[in-house]
Amino acid sequence: MPAVPADLKDRNRQLTDLLHACAQGRQAAFQELYRQVSPQLFAVLVRILKRRDLAEEALQDALLSVWRNAGSYAADKGAPMTWLVSICRYRALDMLRREKREVSLDTDADGDEDGALSALAGVQEDPVNVSRAEERRLEECMGRLNDGQQRSVRLAYVDGCTHEEIAVRVGSPVGTVKSWVRRGLESLKRCLEAA
Amino acid sequence: MRYEGAKLHTLLAGEYVLGLLRGPARRRFERLMMESRALAAEVAQWESHFASLALSLEPVEPPGYLLWRLMGRVRAESRPRSERLRNTFWRTWAVAATLLLAVIVVTERYAPPPEQKAAQFALMSDAQGKPLWLISIHPEAGRVDMKAIGPEALPAGKSYELWMIPDGGKPVPMGLMNQTGTASETVPAELLARLGHAKALAISLEPQGGSPTGQPTGPVLWVAPLVTT
Repeated sequence: MPAVPADLKDRNRQLTDLLHACAQGRQAAFQELYRQVSPQLFAVLVRILKRRDLAEEALQDALLSVWRNAGSYAADKGAPMTWLVSICRYRALDMLRREKREVSLDTDADGDEDGALSALAGVQEDPVNVSRAEERRLEECMGRLNDGQQRSVRLAYVDGCTHEEIAVRVGSPVGTVKSWVRRGLESLKRCLEAA
Repeated sequence: MRYEGAKLHTLLAGEYVLGLLRGPARRRFERLMMESRALAAEVAQWESHFASLALSLEPVEPPGYLLWRLMGRVRAESRPRSERLRNTFWRTWAVAATLLLAVIVVTERYAPPPEQKAAQFALMSDAQGKPLWLISIHPEAGRVDMKAIGPEALPAGKSYELWMIPDGGKPVPMGLMNQTGTASETVPAELLARLGHAKALAISLEPQGGSPTGQPTGPVLWVAPLVTT
């Protein structure tokens, strides 16, 4: 595992200190946290939500939930910034879904996924060794995917696109996009674990 | 292609993190994650891996009033906790003293410098001199009011956005313009201090919801000098 650069370590430690102070109800720490992380989080939200007013609403909701739940942050959630990005992204995805539902009812019930989830429900807890593969060079592994796989994964993660939206953007059938994503995830996993 | 045995955890967790599990599938997955540590760990791993994609985006400065609104909500939430304290004399006294201290600290920190106490005004007019909006800044209240007088009709899918033009430096977003009545936006102290030295306000045409970049992206339609009373 590559060494984590010292400045990144410092930054993680600093953000962890701020989250810890937030958990104790210190508002000044929360303001400092806001100052340090909001431009990066806002960029993520603007990119997914496309509209600045929605991104503002999402940032406000997400950070309020960070303030409420700062005490639940722990190392197993990843680096502090990973945790913060995830909270923001899931908030944005919820908002996207809410917006879309106003137009059309959810039609994503996917037989394929349903079957897989049922199979998962029966799986007993197994003590998987969680290799700490964080800070690996994702970009390098992304570079090994084929074009369709790479674009599909990026459009989903960075732009918050659904399978259908990706299909439209890349001009391929939904079924193809689904298998690109799955094969892409498999190769990424292999590559990231081999690194 | 279907999901297969041992890869199931990994694939579903990956799709969950990418946001590709939707509707009922997403909810079922979240339920499973609550009881499977292995699944939660897979999710955390994908989140860590993909975070670098999110962190490679160019940062976008959120508008100044957002922190202010957020702190308002944070303070509102913090209040009931202190109200839950038993109402004995000493506790009440302690709470009062703490609040007083907080007020002093907050005032010290956020009160605008004394020389900026005066209100500022800007009258936005069209080329014929017809008034569109009257914008007034109230430093003591930390607020900007936008009174619609005869605003220009808003094109579909667009917003008018208000900007402060500082004395040197880039325009600073101040909020979206209203089409009727009077709208108010909170202005944080640091922005008030800069407004004290600003020369003008401007309104640009932006995509609905405002500029996606934090800087004007559409044409600047109107500019008005800031007048201090």
